[in-house]
Amino acid sequence: MSQQIPDGTRTPLEYDGVTRRSFLRTSVVFAAGLTAIAAGLAPLLKLEDFPSLEEFMQKYYKEMTPEDMAKVLKRIEGQVEREYGIRPHVRDLKPMNGVEFVYCLNLTRCIGCRKCVHACVAENNQSRNPEIQYIRVLKMPHGSFDMDKAEHDYNPAMVPEKDHFYMPVQCQQCKNPPCVKVCPVHATWQETDGITVIDYDWCIGCRYCEAACPYWARRFNFSKPSIPKEQINPDMAYLGNRPRRQGVMEKCHFCIQRTRAGRYPACVEVCPTGTRKFGNILDPNSEVSYILRTKRVFIQLKEELGTSPRFFYYFDV
Amino acid sequence: MRRAIRNYFVFLWRSAQLALVGDWRYYAWMGILSILCVVGLNAYAKQLAHGLIVTGMSDQVSWGVYIANFTFLVGVAAAAVMMVIPVYVYKNEDLHDLVIFGELLAVAAIIMCLAFVTVDLGRPDRFWHLLPGLGQLNFPASMLSWDVIVLNGYLLLNVHICGYILYCRYQRKMPAQWFYVPFVFIAIVWAISIHTVTAFLYVGLGGRPFWNSAIVGPRFLASAFTAGPALIILAMQVVRRVTSGPLPQGLAHGLESAAPDDTRQRPATFDDLEQLRRHLPQLSSVPEQTLQEILPGATVLDVTAGHALLYQGETTPFAFFVLEGLVAVERKESGRFRMTRSVGPGQQFGEISALAGTPRVATAIAEEPARVLCLPVESLRKLMKTPQMHRIIRSRMGERLMITDRALMTLRGIVQVAMIINVFLLACEVFTEFYAGGLHVASSKYLFLGLRGYHALVPWIWTAITFNLTAMVLLLLPVSRSLKWLNLTCVLCIVGIWIEKGMGLVVPGFIPTPLGEMAEYSPSLNETLVCLGIWAFGLLCYTVFLRMAVPILQGKLTRAGEAGPARHGPSSEVDVAPAA
Repeated sequence: MSQQIPDGTRTPLEYDGVTRRSFLRTSVVFAAGLTAIAAGLAPLLKLEDFPSLEEFMQKYYKEMTPEDMAKVLKRIEGQVEREYGIRPHVRDLKPMNGVEFVYCLNLTRCIGCRKCVHACVAENNQSRNPEIQYIRVLKMPHGSFDMDKAEHDYNPAMVPEKDHFYMPVQCQQCKNPPCVKVCPVHATWQETDGITVIDYDWCIGCRYCEAACPYWARRFNFSKPSIPKEQINPDMAYLGNRPRRQGVMEKCHFCIQRTRAGRYPACVEVCPTGTRKFGNILDPNSEVSYILRTKRVFIQLKEELGTSPRFFYYFDV
Repeated sequence: MRRAIRNYFVFLWRSAQLALVGDWRYYAWMGILSILCVVGLNAYAKQLAHGLIVTGMSDQVSWGVYIANFTFLVGVAAAAVMMVIPVYVYKNEDLHDLVIFGELLAVAAIIMCLAFVTVDLGRPDRFWHLLPGLGQLNFPASMLSWDVIVLNGYLLLNVHICGYILYCRYQRKMPAQWFYVPFVFIAIVWAISIHTVTAFLYVGLGGRPFWNSAIVGPRFLASAFTAGPALIILAMQVVRRVTSGPLPQGLAHGLESAAPDDTRQRPATFDDLEQLRRHLPQLSSVPEQTLQEILPGATVLDVTAGHALLYQGETTPFAFFVLEGLVAVERKESGRFRMTRSVGPGQQFGEISALAGTPRVATAIAEEPARVLCLPVESLRKLMKTPQMHRIIRSRMGERLMITDRALMTLRGIVQVAMIINVFLLACEVFTEFYAGGLHVASSKYLFLGLRGYHALVPWIWTAITFNLTAMVLLLLPVSRSLKWLNLTCVLCIVGIWIEKGMGLVVPGFIPTPLGEMAEYSPSLNETLVCLGIWAFGLLCYTVFLRMAVPILQGKLTRAGEAGPARHGPSSEVDVAPAA
């Protein structure tokens, strides 16, 4: 019944209704399309990190009741045990009143041995392959503070090397953190003790904070973290060193699982030269208070950006 | 109410069916795009399973080609709607029919933007954390939260404007001004906002000196106004080519007959047709018998200057041919009349709305004493059975409904000015960076000259600059008034801007890192396939939108057709031409 237009072509708008042939044709095309989409999605079968409904619906850290948190901690413990065969102790440690943590680092003493880097990896259950490190030690030529001249992958037989000094950089725990400001979902925030933390279960993995950080202190889990079972540190904190998921951010949190329980961060403890000092700036008798009171010069990296780090570099002279 | 909802769903259903019907070229095009979509989907599934490790990104360069494409496409989306300005603010008639195509392009571009952001997320399963109310949207502190709001808002605005206008056309109703014009103006401001916000995403980062520059926002707008209209120039020519199909028949359902008021009216004679033939030689091809048939209904009007032959907004089933004198076709906008064209002897007017049965889009007034032949729409159809007459009437219709060369030239003007500003702003940036020197120049040095032995982007940026400068010169020369050269220029603009703004802006911002480390980035194969898939999906969407919109705009798909006399099967909802 459809009309033939004078020039012999049929308009696409003419439609004969459903015939057996067109029905078959449509079904075949439809089935082929579905098969193609299914085949395209096949790699998802390899996805190990699929979140359970409970995880998917998990509430924001600050909105969880203590009961919610207890449930979540239990679930995390179960997950770690299933995956690594070791029952961890996961705690949700809160900041202490009257405490503001500050870090001081003596540039005169650092010899660039990178013991802090590896102690940090071991303490904080970072992925070993690819290895994620929170601390980057810069080897700088004598007399210059230009980071563009820094060497990142120095590997001599012996440190320290002549005519160089070493500058370890990690999260500076800014008072005015650009990473917190840019996070679109409040997945990272500053706690009252000055530590900027990340809720690994809330982060959407947009990496905007990584772009915003002027100290290149943030790391992204580009793949599922892989940690040998025997190297797991079972003393864990929710906002600290519990194993992370694929696709979320992480960074130095001043070893929250240690420092909020009265211990030093792993990097401070391991340092063989006493380069690293850590403590409560609100306590006038603390080591860090003493250093900041008495040293004539100390440096906040990129002070001009107004980030106001809680991380101070100083010199012995 | 329920009926209205049912009508709306019938409208959607019938429009959707249009997307499934086409000739072999259409199926081939859609087939290729679908295959690319599935390939992209497969690559994305791999990325989901293994993580972003399958991309070329790293902690050093943590955004790559996904965010580069996102940035480019936000510009396209913004520019597509900015074409509305000449139409609604400056009453430019040439661009009027392009507006809806521009807005549909904006919708497709925003869909692509959202897809590019989604594939860049490490945890797309947690997207709901971004939803206001449900999640924890960090508004207004995070520029990314602004982007979430403005992009989705922009999508809704454009879907509303396009959807409403198309639905009105479908129903053969005049769109109610209050229901869409305010949104058009909001969309204009919003378009600037989406691109400014996207620029601020970068500008707001104090730790990245390459981005932390106030000129990035204006540069984004300038480059968007270059690449966006350039893309539209190309897209519109494709639309024009593929939509110049045969004219549908039998569109007049249930029209009231109302003779135009006149001063002197008499039945037409063979002499009148002879007079018309002198100006319209194609009429000779019409068989004598047909002319005999059309004469009874035809009348000839002799009107004085200033006499109106038809009024904007009324619906009458007549078409007119001018025999003597001049008739002005005028369109009323914002209470003022604006002449759209003058019609002289041998030319016709009023045929589009007569054939489509839609309200007159303009008023026709005799500029000087004129004699016109008034044909009922049935007679016009009889005339159109002759291929020559069919072609001439169809071509005029195409010119009115579709894209005129003048409209493309107007767009060329926009591209021209925008490209000059874009090149100027780039020069400002380069001067500031290199003349003063210092630490801040490291990223620019890496981009333009290479730094410390790393120079992956150098050939790209110089290609972009060469393309942009060539395009600018071509745009300044009259040679780009020819479509062939204009198309070449547009391609140069699009590729040049894509490199300059995408890879040339996003990637060097990360190199060297804030700690001075050098690390380079190039997209992996998997990443490239995901990008191809998203581009294919965007083109697929745009093709489907056009496939639905064009017949509605042409009046081929209308509500009246729904209840047409010739229905064959339960699902025969699409217009069927009745037996003549």
